[in-house]
Amino acid sequence: MPLTSAPLPARPSAFSVDLALATVALKRRLAYRMNWIFGVVLGGGELLVSLTLWGTILAEQGSVAGYDWDAMRTYYVIAFVTATFVFSGSDTAQRILDGSVAIDLLKPVDFQRARAAEFYGGLAGSLPTMVVGLVIALVFFTPLPPASFAAGLLTLASVALIAPIAFSVVYLSTMLCFWTRSYHGIMWARQTVVAFFSGAMVPLAIMPAPLQALAWCLPFVHFTTTPSQIYLGRVDTLGALGLIAAQAAWVVALWLLGRWLWSRAVRAVTIHGG
Amino acid sequence: MTLKRGVPARHALAVYWRTWFAQIRSIVEYPADLWVMASAGAVWNILQFAFLAVLFANVPDVAGWGYHEMLMLSGLLSVAGGCNALFWDGAWSTGSMVIKGDIDYRITRPAPVIIQVGSSHIGMQSIGEVVFGAAMLVYGWIGAGIGLAAVPIGVLAVVCAGIIQSALVTALCAVNFWIKGQASIFAFLLIELQGNAMKMPLGIFPSGVRLVAMFLVPVAFVNFVPVSVVTGHMPAWWLAGVPAAVLGSVLLAVGVYRLGLRAYDSAGH
Repeated sequence: MPLTSAPLPARPSAFSVDLALATVALKRRLAYRMNWIFGVVLGGGELLVSLTLWGTILAEQGSVAGYDWDAMRTYYVIAFVTATFVFSGSDTAQRILDGSVAIDLLKPVDFQRARAAEFYGGLAGSLPTMVVGLVIALVFFTPLPPASFAAGLLTLASVALIAPIAFSVVYLSTMLCFWTRSYHGIMWARQTVVAFFSGAMVPLAIMPAPLQALAWCLPFVHFTTTPSQIYLGRVDTLGALGLIAAQAAWVVALWLLGRWLWSRAVRAVTIHGG
Repeated sequence: MTLKRGVPARHALAVYWRTWFAQIRSIVEYPADLWVMASAGAVWNILQFAFLAVLFANVPDVAGWGYHEMLMLSGLLSVAGGCNALFWDGAWSTGSMVIKGDIDYRITRPAPVIIQVGSSHIGMQSIGEVVFGAAMLVYGWIGAGIGLAAVPIGVLAVVCAGIIQSALVTALCAVNFWIKGQASIFAFLLIELQGNAMKMPLGIFPSGVRLVAMFLVPVAFVNFVPVSVVTGHMPAWWLAGVPAAVLGSVLLAVGVYRLGLRAYDSAGH
């Protein structure tokens, strides 16, 4: 009886691998429903504190650095929404620290691209949190509408470019775990620096000029300040397009930086007992 | 499952310090980690400082509170969080110890479980938090023109702040005895919301928030009440509430932990 060999399954396309990784990350995120409530409460708490602070100040002062109560309220609602993209978690750090990154290194996929797919999957899992938070914010804080229809569209384009920059920032900070034994310190430092220099803590407009210049040299400014500037009409269409082009440039630059750092970091990998 | 009772306090304290110093020895073995974590704590504080400096470059006061007074609020809050991480960070491991059955080992040893768990870890970010938090507190203290006569109150406030903070975190981490999970979600929620809200004067919030922060979860006694008293925003008799809050929160932590240990049924192996 002749032996018939089963045909080898076709090698999956790179995109289907991305999709599979993103789906797994999404399922993992959805499995922990408590995190949704947690995200809304934390983000909402921060929003409420900021609005209470500025409500008190602007009731006395009328406006600060060109922001009246309406503009400030809108600014912080935008910051709240974009924070969903920026403060999305990553478990790559833990995999590096406990050595299970060794398994990832064996897989015939591009490490950085695979982590990006997981990041987007996780991000999709955070969307319900964002939607619930946004609906609550819209109902209770009634932010201003976008300055114009074009401003609204350009804001969406700007928000869409936050995700790849956020991924790279998280990815690059995660790479540092190849040299340390703990991720918490890196994560806290990153979150604080991002919150400050993005303008999520206080609008950049009220910072002194040198600090503003420094912030504009960093990618974090595009997490909060860029979309809110466009939305509130503080830059014209050409200025908005320029800011979006700067965001796109950061996407490419940070991706390449990630590639370079990975080539250095992988040499420093330590697998316990391996 | 019986709980250990009658362990002399001196013995418990000796066990605590012995374990704590063992953690210090393990930390100095990895200096890179120490510096990363200490820098993270420092960055957080420096940017809090920058936040207030930027804010007060644009506004003269917030609900009657000046720049230096608000620096003191942030500074004392940082020192309290830093003390928790420096002396009692192990409380955060309660959830993972319950899941893995690690509490078993602690129950069999002749020392209070809560002491063993509390001293089982040191958060290295605490070094940056305590140093820079103290710097903010002292800078604010001098800038607000508070004299040396009030220094004993300041020292008492720092000690009490560390104890209240650690006790509240412990009580909320002990919830993991019933609601199983690696992460101490409730304790994390507490420090996040507290970190946001309590660096502001309590007067800007609605009365419901003020009542909760004063009497239900007494986070106001960590930094707001002592700073309000020394800066003259509140009458001096409010200071009596600080040791009362220490006592209340410690009793709460010990009580919840004991109940949690009674409910503890190991990991099933």
